[in-house]
Amino acid sequence: MNIDNCLDAVKNCRFCFMCRHLSAVGNVTFTEADTPRVRAVMIYGAMMHPEWWSNPEYIDMLYRADLSRNCAHHCVNHYDENALLIAARTDVVAKGFAPAAVRALREELISGETWQVSGSGDVLYFVDPYTAEAKIDGVFDAIMRKAGKNYVAVRGGCIGRALKVLGFADDAKQALEKFAAVVRGTGAKTLVVSNPAAYEALKNDAKAFGIDLPATVMHTSEYLLTLDLPTTRAAGKLYYLESDYLRNYNDLPFPHELLKRLGAEEQHFGADRDWLGVPDQQESFTCGEGAVVLPKLYPELVKKLAAYVEKQADDPAADRIVTASPYTKLCLAKYTSLQVVTLEELTAGVL
Amino acid sequence: MLVKKSSYMYEMIRTELTDAIGAEYVCTCDDDRLGHSIDYYWIPEMWHDRGMETPKPDFIVHPGSAEDVAKVMKIANQYRIPVTPWGGGSGSQGGALPVYEGIILDMKRMNKIVKIDKTALTVTCQTGIIARHLEWQCNKHGVSTMHLPASIACATIGGFLAHRGTGVLSTKYGKIEDMVMSLEVVTPTGEIIRTLPVPRHASGPDLTMLFLGSEGTLGVITEVTLKIHPMPEAREFRAYVFPDFHTAMSAGAELMRSRLQPCAMRLYDETETLTYVSKVFGKTLDKGAYLVFGFDGRKEIVDLQMKYARQIMEEQFHGEDYGSQGGMDWWKNKYKFFYPGFMFHIPQAFGTLDTVATFSDIENVYWGMKNVVRENFPQARFIGHFSHWYEWGCMLYARFIFEEKDVPKDPREAAALYNRVWDLAIRAAIANGGVINEHHGVGLKLGRFVKDLYGPAMPVLEGIKKQLDPNNIMNPGKMGFKGL
Repeated sequence: MNIDNCLDAVKNCRFCFMCRHLSAVGNVTFTEADTPRVRAVMIYGAMMHPEWWSNPEYIDMLYRADLSRNCAHHCVNHYDENALLIAARTDVVAKGFAPAAVRALREELISGETWQVSGSGDVLYFVDPYTAEAKIDGVFDAIMRKAGKNYVAVRGGCIGRALKVLGFADDAKQALEKFAAVVRGTGAKTLVVSNPAAYEALKNDAKAFGIDLPATVMHTSEYLLTLDLPTTRAAGKLYYLESDYLRNYNDLPFPHELLKRLGAEEQHFGADRDWLGVPDQQESFTCGEGAVVLPKLYPELVKKLAAYVEKQADDPAADRIVTASPYTKLCLAKYTSLQVVTLEELTAGVL
Repeated sequence: MLVKKSSYMYEMIRTELTDAIGAEYVCTCDDDRLGHSIDYYWIPEMWHDRGMETPKPDFIVHPGSAEDVAKVMKIANQYRIPVTPWGGGSGSQGGALPVYEGIILDMKRMNKIVKIDKTALTVTCQTGIIARHLEWQCNKHGVSTMHLPASIACATIGGFLAHRGTGVLSTKYGKIEDMVMSLEVVTPTGEIIRTLPVPRHASGPDLTMLFLGSEGTLGVITEVTLKIHPMPEAREFRAYVFPDFHTAMSAGAELMRSRLQPCAMRLYDETETLTYVSKVFGKTLDKGAYLVFGFDGRKEIVDLQMKYARQIMEEQFHGEDYGSQGGMDWWKNKYKFFYPGFMFHIPQAFGTLDTVATFSDIENVYWGMKNVVRENFPQARFIGHFSHWYEWGCMLYARFIFEEKDVPKDPREAAALYNRVWDLAIRAAIANGGVINEHHGVGLKLGRFVKDLYGPAMPVLEGIKKQLDPNNIMNPGKMGFKGL
């Protein structure tokens, strides 16, 4: 079973409450089951009682997790309950117990595995559905024009991350393999993505699946830094929402470096602090970015996550909020009155 | 639960609960029932570990207000259903376990901060708020609760009130009961009452103190006003290593008698210094007993306090100075002790023999417990530190640890071994002047010792319980009160 690769988390998380306060879903449902501890307790129980795997309420608990991975990132020993959850979902799928909504979503994702290529150049910019819906591709295009850079745009559907988090590992691998072939066909040397989930797929999932990507993968924040574009004004005071994938999965410094380069004066969003009281955004304010497709399965939950973020704002009507994630921008735009822009939009605004 | 789930009566009760507080806030799902069947008490953890069934609540109710709680209480009384309040579920005594099933009153939805009063320096909040979240919000306003226990990440304020919790800065800022101004409480029969608005008065006995530490047996604390404090200009620590725990204890007691008012102090015995502290700090402390203390407040005053404290440590007791860095190692790592990988857990069997006594008795309590564990359970390790210090004495945080090979696989045998350690060690503590316990509470784990502890005063306590909770619905079977 896949969970056998995550026994460290099973053993340790089921006795631990230390990241309880960081559980984004638990903080809006107030449900004990929506914590790493109880999920690990359940999985351990299922190892002894195989019939638990088919319990729809246990399965629902596994699927409504936000997969932010902030529990592992802020754990002193980094026990990865997040990886355990994905492994457990994969085992649920393998046993044939995936809920109907999850199976339907798989079909939808697989049917979207087509990509259109346009443009030319050494740089490939991948426009995933969230990036397209948030219209970040147009912003990126404007920046590239200003920089005088040509690039290849590849637009299309799922490249595997959503399938992987739903527990369809084989499907995820196939999707990534197909996408890798498209990348190879362009001859691009640099592969840029705006969606942090796509970054995770291309940076880490591809490697884990043994898929060779002949291009250096960059999040737009890293790529925009390489352009070293002159700015006409400072970005000024703003709040930055950390990305699950960029911070908790990959600990990338680039979003903050880019903000600094743009002359941003970062304010601390939220109230969270580290052990010594220093402001540190440990909570996940992404509305479930880690789970990629949470709005498709649990729209009411995403609405609550968004409302929680809005509640943290110092001045919801006036605060300028920046995210690295088109997904987060879309969720907050849909469910809150917060003014949120992506890093690309902020960059374009000060050039 | 007195009504079978297959019975239509079960559905009648569920309907009444959902009608009272909303269907969204009444849960009967297996996942949440499982989550509320195990807390941080070793026995249910072990029971689950061995594949055994743990008692589960029938209904998990998430009230949003004191009025909601009152409605639930009235329904529970109507049908004689046990109600167990649940905060973060991180208690180590089994106090929040639904041992008779029934209703779990999960308080976490009641997480509002009502008011931060910067004139009186108080904060009023609902009690379901996780302590870390409250502290973060206070910090954002430039103040602090100064209640910083290791369980701050998971426990709710209500949980701390219910079992008289203590944070790492207790020596200066007090235990939770010292921090409370007033309470809102829903009684077991569903009345909403408020205790007097200030804690210092001459208007009769103090009802606030009656409910503090009552562990959900006398009512549900729904709102609290706590003292808060300005963030200190300076907070400094210093550590010393003494050749033995007795010398270190003498130095620590002298520091308390000096009334220099440290904000925190910890003393680890030789075994814990060598094993646990060294492991957490990532450096070897291979001799003696590690003592750390700190002061906070205005920088000039902190400097002066530290100067006189150093004189006690160095000139009177000849401690080896590990400097401010040696002290900051502890402050920075204070929560690391409790993370998996550092904290003891199954397959080990372990328990915290939390005891408090005066300086006259505390070493006898330590040796009494240690000797009884050594003599009766030679396979067990015994370590201890002294973690909350007061003008008159301190708390002993003693622990026994059995490694996996020494823990029976059979759950009943494992429970019997575990309970026997408690029986002998706690009675040794009481015999030597110790009080069980300082901040973990009584719960299920220590209920059987309460009669020993209270003696002839026990009927007074039982009378109060009977008066407030005539149908015995509130957390039955806990804190030494009768079960169902």
